[in-house]
Amino acid sequence: MALIEKAVGEVAFAASLALVAIGVYGLTSTNNMLRMLLSLEVIFNGILLGIVAYLSFQPIMASIVAILLVAVVAAEVIVTMAILAGLYRQVRTFETTGLEEEGV
Amino acid sequence: MALVDYYPYMAALLTGAMLVTAYYVVRHKDLVYSSIALALLGSMTAAFVALLGFGLVAAFIVVVYVGAAVMFIIMSISMLGGGGPEARSEAPGILAASGILAGLAVVLAATGLFKAYAHPGAYTVTEVAQVLLSKYSPVLWVLVVALAATLLEAIAVARRGE
Repeated sequence: MALIEKAVGEVAFAASLALVAIGVYGLTSTNNMLRMLLSLEVIFNGILLGIVAYLSFQPIMASIVAILLVAVVAAEVIVTMAILAGLYRQVRTFETTGLEEEGV
Repeated sequence: MALVDYYPYMAALLTGAMLVTAYYVVRHKDLVYSSIALALLGSMTAAFVALLGFGLVAAFIVVVYVGAAVMFIIMSISMLGGGGPEARSEAPGILAASGILAGLAVVLAATGLFKAYAHPGAYTVTEVAQVLLSKYSPVLWVLVVALAATLLEAIAVARRGE
């Protein structure tokens, strides 16, 4: 039983690492701000999985941290999308390049 | 074999599906499909968290994260569009991802964090709520104020220029 638990935990940490790496790849290989936001969300999923697996020896603490984390990320998504919508209204693009020339 | 014996296989299967979906999120040309894939990824993360023994957190992820945050992203991108074709430069991304992956793997292996998981014992929603409302009540209040400010800020930013 303990071996099975350890195996599941190791898979969880490996999945967490791989998700963070894929998210970083997406974040650094594009100049589209919407794609960057989606990549950040992939990183968040990896971090969340890692934190829950790491804090599993304190289940109540892990639950509270995860709940607060999800709530904060939901707020972050709303603010980011509002900023991007406002920016898009001005420059009609989501690209990061050339924003200085547009006077943003 | 009991159901528990299949957990490692289920975890591995889930991990494979999550990685494919994550790659789809960062690579697909159409951002609407990418954001829908993000919703799938969030659901699979919730399934994995449930497999780890945290059913309450899994439910919260599905309801708040997938149901509200990611749905908000999907609707916003559907309304705004993707902003046209995007320029991609693969080399920095692959380099950064490889560096992060190798660095974190070394840290996790060196500190023994890979072995840190222990299946949580039984706990109830009531216990979590009691701790949240007593020991962590200041955090909860700060979060409530921050979320209210966030909502106002988002409305203000979105309405600017009308």
